[in-house]
Amino acid sequence: MSERGQKFSNIAASHIMPRDKGAAPLDFVIAVMALLAALALGSSMIAARAAEGWSAGLSDRLTIQVPPPDSGDVQAGLDAEVRAALAVLQATQGIAQVRVLSDGEIAALVEPWIGNSGVVAGIPLPRLIDATVAPGASMDMPALQERLKLAAPHAVVDDHSRWLTRLAGLAGTVRCAAYGILLLIAGATAAVVMLATRAGLDAHHEMVALLHQMGAKAGFIARSIEWHYFISALLASLGGSAAAALLFAGLGSLDIFGVEAVPFLPPLALGLAELAWLAAVPAVIAAIAWATARLSVLSVVRAIY
Amino acid sequence: MVRFENVGMRYGAGPEVLRDVSFELKQGSFTFLTGLSGAGKTTLLKLICLAEPPSRGLITLFGEDLATARRRDLPALRRRIGVVFQDFRLLSHLSAYDNVALPLRLAGKREADYHRDVLELMSWVGLGDRMTAKPATLSGGEQQRVAIARAVVARPDLLIADEPTGNVDPEMGAKLIRLFAELNRQGTTVLIATHDHMLVEATRGLEIRLVEGRAMEIRNLARTV
Repeated sequence: MSERGQKFSNIAASHIMPRDKGAAPLDFVIAVMALLAALALGSSMIAARAAEGWSAGLSDRLTIQVPPPDSGDVQAGLDAEVRAALAVLQATQGIAQVRVLSDGEIAALVEPWIGNSGVVAGIPLPRLIDATVAPGASMDMPALQERLKLAAPHAVVDDHSRWLTRLAGLAGTVRCAAYGILLLIAGATAAVVMLATRAGLDAHHEMVALLHQMGAKAGFIARSIEWHYFISALLASLGGSAAAALLFAGLGSLDIFGVEAVPFLPPLALGLAELAWLAAVPAVIAAIAWATARLSVLSVVRAIY
Repeated sequence: MVRFENVGMRYGAGPEVLRDVSFELKQGSFTFLTGLSGAGKTTLLKLICLAEPPSRGLITLFGEDLATARRRDLPALRRRIGVVFQDFRLLSHLSAYDNVALPLRLAGKREADYHRDVLELMSWVGLGDRMTAKPATLSGGEQQRVAIARAVVARPDLLIADEPTGNVDPEMGAKLIRLFAELNRQGTTVLIATHDHMLVEATRGLEIRLVEGRAMEIRNLARTV
């Protein structure tokens, strides 16, 4: 019988080294790290989006509060100061729109604190004027406050800069923390993969030494190992990232299950563009695994004569 | 081909295993390395096959002074040497066929180019029906033949064998020696470390006898053929 064409080789070019069995714990650790990295990345994106939303919602608005006078005809005093403040605002360059909030709107604003039992009706509430700044206009706030002070002595202007500064600081802190966690996870992943690669090389040290002895170059031995770690890390981290994406999708769908969103917190769901960023996590982790495996193998092989 | 000048070797801070060893293997020579256990035969083979650097002395291999050879040139030198290890050192996850073909793969050859050569060689050493067997399922003698086939398959310039007939019956031993002799006739320089005096006496060649780490005697055995 002719043996030409009969297949006796059962290995591909890159599989001279055996595929490690029992690597499930390493895969699990990498999957968990990918999950944490994706959560940190997603959180940083949500924080950035929230900060932008808060800024956009408040940075073009002014709120003028006119409290009721302490004496005299409260209603007439209030009306006079509101009219005077309105006149000043309408005459101010850069103010696009001015609107006095109705009693109903003001009652709705205080409802979370004192309820809607009708008790509000007997309490003198301040009037609120909502002014919208024209896009791109720069306001001279001290000058505006000065003019309002002259026209409506009790009016108080709030340009929300105090809140905006605090919110921006909070969002920046959350983002920095998320980036720090990302860096820590990347470092830990590299360390774990390096340890696992070293352990694998220790287990196959004789095999590596034999290939080296037979004249295999360090790069050849490294190539036969590094892709195994690349593929394993890629698959494990894809699992971790997918779990994180599902988690964000679940958090964004809590209202479907009747769970009310927490006031002031941004929506926890990620958009498609943001979800696409999560796909970068397995790519980066797999690249780290590939590079550390290659460097570990090269350093071990080069330590042999 | 191989030249040792006052070569000494010690492992770490231990005693010298080889002391002032000097000899030369000429191209195309067939040489036996003999000596009692512990005389330093395996260490000497390790130095020749570039598994260890010497502690002192000068080794010249294929005309290259190893003391001044660049590290990146060593893999190419190693690929010119076929080694039969005493403990075989087969890759346990590869088939007998893949173990034998390994040097050819490391040399960058495609399977289509070496398939027939590997089959013929394995059939010649009596492993024609064990191509796909893993080393763990082979007997000691079969593993030794796989190791020998792997060492000779790339037709190396220098063949080094450490007790290559230790696990096979006399008939197969004689056949393997004929394989080494045939390679030698085609130009391969052969160095065999052995305890087997009958094998040494029955074969044309040289003998280097190591005694307590020194090359004590170099005999020409041509008269015995």
